[in-house]
Amino acid sequence: MTTAVRPAAAPRSEARRASSGRAGRRSLATTVIGVVLTAIMLFPIYWMINVSLTPTAQMRQSPPSWFPAAPTLDGYRAVVADQLPYLGTSLLVGIGTVVVTIALAAPAAYSLAKLRPRGGGALSFVLLVAQMIPQVIMAMGFYAIYLNLGILDEWWGLVIADSTLAVPFGVLIFTAFMRGIPDELMSAAKLDGAGAWRTFISIVLPVSRNSAVTVGLFAFLWAWSDFVFSSTLNSGGDAQTITLGIYRYIGNNNQEWNSIMATAVVASIPATVLLVVAQRYVAAGVTAGAVKD
Amino acid sequence: MSTDTMERREAVSPAGTGGTPAPAGPTRRRRPDTGQLAAWAFLAPVVAYLAVFYVWPLVRNVDLSTHDYTVRSFIDGNAPFIGFENFADVFTSPTFGPALINTLLFTGISIAFQFSIGMALAVFFFQRFPLSATLRALFLVPWLLPLIVSASTWSWMLNSESGVVNSVIRTLGGDQVNWLTSPQWALTSVIIANIWIGIPFNLVILYSGLQNISGDIYEAAALDGANAWQVFWRITFPLLRPVSAITILLGLVYTLKVFDIIWIMTRGGPGDASTTFAIWSYQLGFGSTLPSFGPAAAVGNLLIVMALVCGFVYLRVQRKQDQS
Amino acid sequence: MISPFHSKKAAVALVGLAAVSLALTGCSGGGSSAGGDAATGTYTFWDPYPQFDGASDWTKLVESCGTEAGVTIERTGYDTSDLTSKALLAGQQGNSPDLLLVDNPVVSTLAEAGLLTDTDETGADTADIEENILAAGQVDGKTYGVPIGANTLALYYNKAILDEAGVDPASITDWDSLTSALEKVTAVGKKGITFSAIGTEEGSFQFLPWYWGSGADLTELDSDDAVSALDLWTGWLEEGYAPNSVINNTQTTTWQEFMTGEYAFGENGTWQLAGIKASDIDYGIISIPSKDGGAAPAPTGGEFLTVPVQSDDARYEVSEKIQACLTSTENLVATDTTLSYVAPTKDAQEAQLAADPDLEPWVTAVGEAKGRTSDDLGTDYPKISEQLWKAVQNSLSGSASPEEALKEAQTAASSATE
Repeated sequence: MTTAVRPAAAPRSEARRASSGRAGRRSLATTVIGVVLTAIMLFPIYWMINVSLTPTAQMRQSPPSWFPAAPTLDGYRAVVADQLPYLGTSLLVGIGTVVVTIALAAPAAYSLAKLRPRGGGALSFVLLVAQMIPQVIMAMGFYAIYLNLGILDEWWGLVIADSTLAVPFGVLIFTAFMRGIPDELMSAAKLDGAGAWRTFISIVLPVSRNSAVTVGLFAFLWAWSDFVFSSTLNSGGDAQTITLGIYRYIGNNNQEWNSIMATAVVASIPATVLLVVAQRYVAAGVTAGAVKD
Repeated sequence: MSTDTMERREAVSPAGTGGTPAPAGPTRRRRPDTGQLAAWAFLAPVVAYLAVFYVWPLVRNVDLSTHDYTVRSFIDGNAPFIGFENFADVFTSPTFGPALINTLLFTGISIAFQFSIGMALAVFFFQRFPLSATLRALFLVPWLLPLIVSASTWSWMLNSESGVVNSVIRTLGGDQVNWLTSPQWALTSVIIANIWIGIPFNLVILYSGLQNISGDIYEAAALDGANAWQVFWRITFPLLRPVSAITILLGLVYTLKVFDIIWIMTRGGPGDASTTFAIWSYQLGFGSTLPSFGPAAAVGNLLIVMALVCGFVYLRVQRKQDQS
Repeated sequence: MISPFHSKKAAVALVGLAAVSLALTGCSGGGSSAGGDAATGTYTFWDPYPQFDGASDWTKLVESCGTEAGVTIERTGYDTSDLTSKALLAGQQGNSPDLLLVDNPVVSTLAEAGLLTDTDETGADTADIEENILAAGQVDGKTYGVPIGANTLALYYNKAILDEAGVDPASITDWDSLTSALEKVTAVGKKGITFSAIGTEEGSFQFLPWYWGSGADLTELDSDDAVSALDLWTGWLEEGYAPNSVINNTQTTTWQEFMTGEYAFGENGTWQLAGIKASDIDYGIISIPSKDGGAAPAPTGGEFLTVPVQSDDARYEVSEKIQACLTSTENLVATDTTLSYVAPTKDAQEAQLAADPDLEPWVTAVGEAKGRTSDDLGTDYPKISEQLWKAVQNSLSGSASPEEALKEAQTAASSATE
């Protein structure tokens, strides 16, 4: 089965041939619509950048200026001076969370999807329920455990905590995708004498690459923007994430909004790059290249 | 063609969680013990993980909600057991009614819009046009931002006097709308912000779901002369049902927990106008200088119960789907 | 074995990213392990000033007081609204810091929780502290901390706008004169007054001068005096003298509005002094008027330095030394100048005035201010305050009339404080 494609858009080679014709103009129009939609969606982001360049005196003026009339780089200067270590920690924690999440979720999903354990349904339900627990409650639990183990303020402690945001969800997604892996693949491996583990490593994982990227994406994004766990578990010490770094500008009586927004803008850049790159992997279908027609 | 579709659908479309009937094929006579052992060996890390990190906070929360904790007994740990008294206090509080209604409205409307817009966008982006991959990636950017930033940006934009939304309304000749400060509009404003934040999630999952639908079905439909709307409504949407179900369920669970957006934009105000259970729980536990942990935990447990109900509904729908 | 990663490039890229992030983390300098319980030489210090980083004067001051007492201090700044719950959580787990700087209304909550030592236990000397400032940290006759400085509210005004409207600030002595000033200001097309009425403690804080200025008492939220205070604010909103955004304004947002230069009056605190001096607004200050004339009692803001209970009471001696060091006259003046607070002792206040005579109206205001938890309210105050801000929100947003809103508030408050 090749990549799933809607009939409106012809297979690639034909599209190229037809691109100079009617189909080409249609896809240009579609692109324009796409850009407009994206612009609407991202308008608040634009506003965020606008605020980040506004000097404090003009922040609340009415009517607001759509374009910073007298832009100030103070916010960005503050960010460059203060926030780099926090950005580093966030990146580290984000990547760590992706690794831990996939390491925990993929084998479990493989089992639920393919090995049919007794009580698997109950476990799936438990995973669902696990996501219903409000984060504040989870954070209080982690605090108690980490304190007793003496592992507060460690970056890897935060990785484990952040993974709780993504693991149940990861199992869900992996299970859904792995269910779609044709049984012929599995039978082929069995015929070759492979046991469950071998099948998992050499067949299931490579084929689930795209769902792995999806899960990894969510895990990274959730870990990146997490505040509750960072604040409860890592407020002291050196492993503070960018969400805590922003609070440097939120003093007890005063808040510097241009610095806060500037931090958000700068923090979005590496993650946006990661996103654009990762999208390519989510683009192909689930079993692309696995079984030829 | 319909039989082909059915078989392919079973093999291809991502089903939800829960048990599924075994597909017809090789005999079910396996070596049950080793098979089960292997299956649970794969599950062991996650089970241990769940037990350590989820069970303990949950137990603690139930404990908090069934004891009478003052700040002193929170520290000392000698709180008297009072059964359901905290829950009774919560149910009879004047905030309960408005909070319940707000929670239902907030969750229901958010999901409806997030899902529909996400679905429309997924279908839209499914066409291959230049830049589609990049634009799709850009749609996820709202998700990268820490909630304090996105919520604050929306606050800024919706400010009664200096917000850009009102300045546009004024330019168009309308009256200023007090988005965040009037009891009529506060809930709507937070719903709008929440929809904005929830669209990327729906977009990504539904888009991945669309990937799994075989192109052959579409070709066949095109041959039959179906137009775009018919293709969507009769083919795409039904095939997406399992993915839609899980997306909506997860959306419900996550939206019930939403707290940061509302807190930063309106603090649940004015008065109780935009207070949901999540906000109320926080207000009780951390919102004043004298925390009331018992009632806060009780409201938190109510939230979990509501989410559980949604989970059960989902399971029933799942079972019905598998049977049909 | 087939690698799960499709290409080596992806793996290399990930490793590279991890290396970069580790390097960036390393930039922050070596870390010492947390925990001041086992080690004898490290004392933990928590404060609500996350805006001060490791290189700031405040941190250096704290660390130097530690060195003077012969120990190393590990200082962490937290978001002030978070600090109460963090302190409670830490206390529950036996992980309280050695020194804790908290906002003054929180002191009675923490004392009630049994988390704080009182001055009898630590031997701290509070004889020089002004009584009204110290009152916020006193519960049942015992003092649970030492104030590091106090601040309070006043009305900043924009001279240019008042001149344009023909208003003489000296003529504003009571509510009526203030309201007519607002009328004149809006008549010339400017905006009247801005304040914060948000549904949190900040909103109550800003409403209290008007509440107390009407003669009302916090134990009776629905008295006629109280209703008149809420009526004042509601009236201003209805007439357009105050913007609708006040319902959601934090004190910072209010300040930003005032700094646009379009408002004649802005209710805010001492801590904004440094900011407004740096701006190009020609400003002045008057104390918040009470209903019938004279300055209204304003609530005290400012933090208290407390010594939480530890399992090892030998630590109190050193903690007290650090506390005394930070509250010495010299250090008080340094700290309070940085924070734009008013010092809590007469000596320190004199030193501040000598350095900056502009502080005079503030020193007077602080002298007449009241603690929120004073009048023996203690832990009743948070419950009352919550109902008060709810009533303000309901009245200003039009969901209820001032009488109804306050009546509801009083019913809820009295049942909550039984």
